[in-house]
Amino acid sequence: MAEQPKHPLSPYDEYLRATHRLGRMASVVTLILLIGAPFVMGGVLGAAPNLSAAAKGFLAVGLVWTVSSVAEFLIYTPMLGAGGSYLAFITGNLINMKIPCAMNAREMVGAKSGTAENEIISTLSIATSSLVTIVVLALGVLLLTPLTPVLQSAALRPAFDQVVPALFGALAWRYYRKDVRLALIPLAVMSALFILLPSLTSSTSMMIIPSGALAIGLSYLSYRKERAA
Amino acid sequence: MTVLEQLNSGTMYLICGGIVAFVAVVCAVFMVRAWRAGKALGMDPARMKRAVTASATFSVLPSVGILLGVIALSGSLGIPWPWLRLSVIGALHYETQVAQAAAEQLGLKLSGESMTADGFATIALLMSVCIMWGMILMTVFGRRYLARLSRGSAVKPAGVKGGFADAAMTAMFVGMVSAYLGSYIGDFVSGAGRFRFAGSWTPLAVAAVSALAMAGFTWLTEKKHMEWLEGFSVAGSMLLGMLTAVIIGG
Repeated sequence: MAEQPKHPLSPYDEYLRATHRLGRMASVVTLILLIGAPFVMGGVLGAAPNLSAAAKGFLAVGLVWTVSSVAEFLIYTPMLGAGGSYLAFITGNLINMKIPCAMNAREMVGAKSGTAENEIISTLSIATSSLVTIVVLALGVLLLTPLTPVLQSAALRPAFDQVVPALFGALAWRYYRKDVRLALIPLAVMSALFILLPSLTSSTSMMIIPSGALAIGLSYLSYRKERAA
Repeated sequence: MTVLEQLNSGTMYLICGGIVAFVAVVCAVFMVRAWRAGKALGMDPARMKRAVTASATFSVLPSVGILLGVIALSGSLGIPWPWLRLSVIGALHYETQVAQAAAEQLGLKLSGESMTADGFATIALLMSVCIMWGMILMTVFGRRYLARLSRGSAVKPAGVKGGFADAAMTAMFVGMVSAYLGSYIGDFVSGAGRFRFAGSWTPLAVAAVSALAMAGFTWLTEKKHMEWLEGFSVAGSMLLGMLTAVIIGG
């Protein structure tokens, strides 16, 4: 139970308290909707999620994203304040849009971290950004719907079969250029493993764990060396 | 009716659209409350208006980039689900990777041709579960964390970012990318028999073109100061990579 304040709250404190209450409610409802949707959509299709496969998939990739989520929570929450953080975690696209958007708005009006002004500007910025994305995507989807037969045509099928290699090619440039030496060793080790044991390609996502551990280990050695120098 | 056709049915649009509409209402409520609170605090409405206008114009181009992500995923998961995922909570690089991991566990390929109803439901569930932690952490710890920070007793966020944690995050993604690129190299070299170099080279070509396109986007953004291109870089590079697959015939 929330502790009763000894003194009456200021209007701003009252606003923050209500923001947390509203943010929690909105987050819980969104979570229920997002977790429930696959079951409802599966029901429409006459199917249900395979929970065992989902659990295995979570062990393979979910842990990486869990760690990433913890880091995002610790780093970005102080920048965005209460209202901005609830909205940003609900609407996603943090690094590629919400954070730079809020920082841009904050700089434009000269608001400082941790101030009431920052809280208001961040919330306004992220709410606006989210609404713009929702509108642009809704309009785009309206225009896309008539194009569905084209998107599903045999000519374009090879493109959609290669979504994952296309993604990892783009990400390779983004992450490898930060430290090429760090990237080459895990890539060489993983390539050697897949060449020697080709059957592993059917469970590539499970290989993220040893590959990630190797990269983190190498990165730690490099970090310690830099600190010692 | 194929699974992909069912995934593009009106019912699916209704389910996903309903959730998107709910989130839009939440955003509108937060916006109105913040505006009113700002006015009550004595903030200049012109400055708040400038923040709103700047955020709206800032978001248009990246949103078009996100729309390209919906197109990229629509061939395997239909339009409504990627529309929901990328409007709410998601990010393109995350969605594709998790969808692929779930498909792998089911012995499926992430493509419209091999998609099954069970497969879709499992993939959709894993996509929802893997990225919900930010929301959960904010719901459970957000208030206390912000209160501690405002009292100045918490670890400074800059310390979290500046130490090994930041390098470890990059390393984790390097490991993830290496596992997938390694699998494409392994598949080409030994996919049709060990060291026969007769496996599929399409994923390698697609990844290479995608990486080159990303290098081009980075060059334009950083050297030519075309920062507006940044929002398109991942989706644009992916689409160019995917186009390669069409040209070389998959």
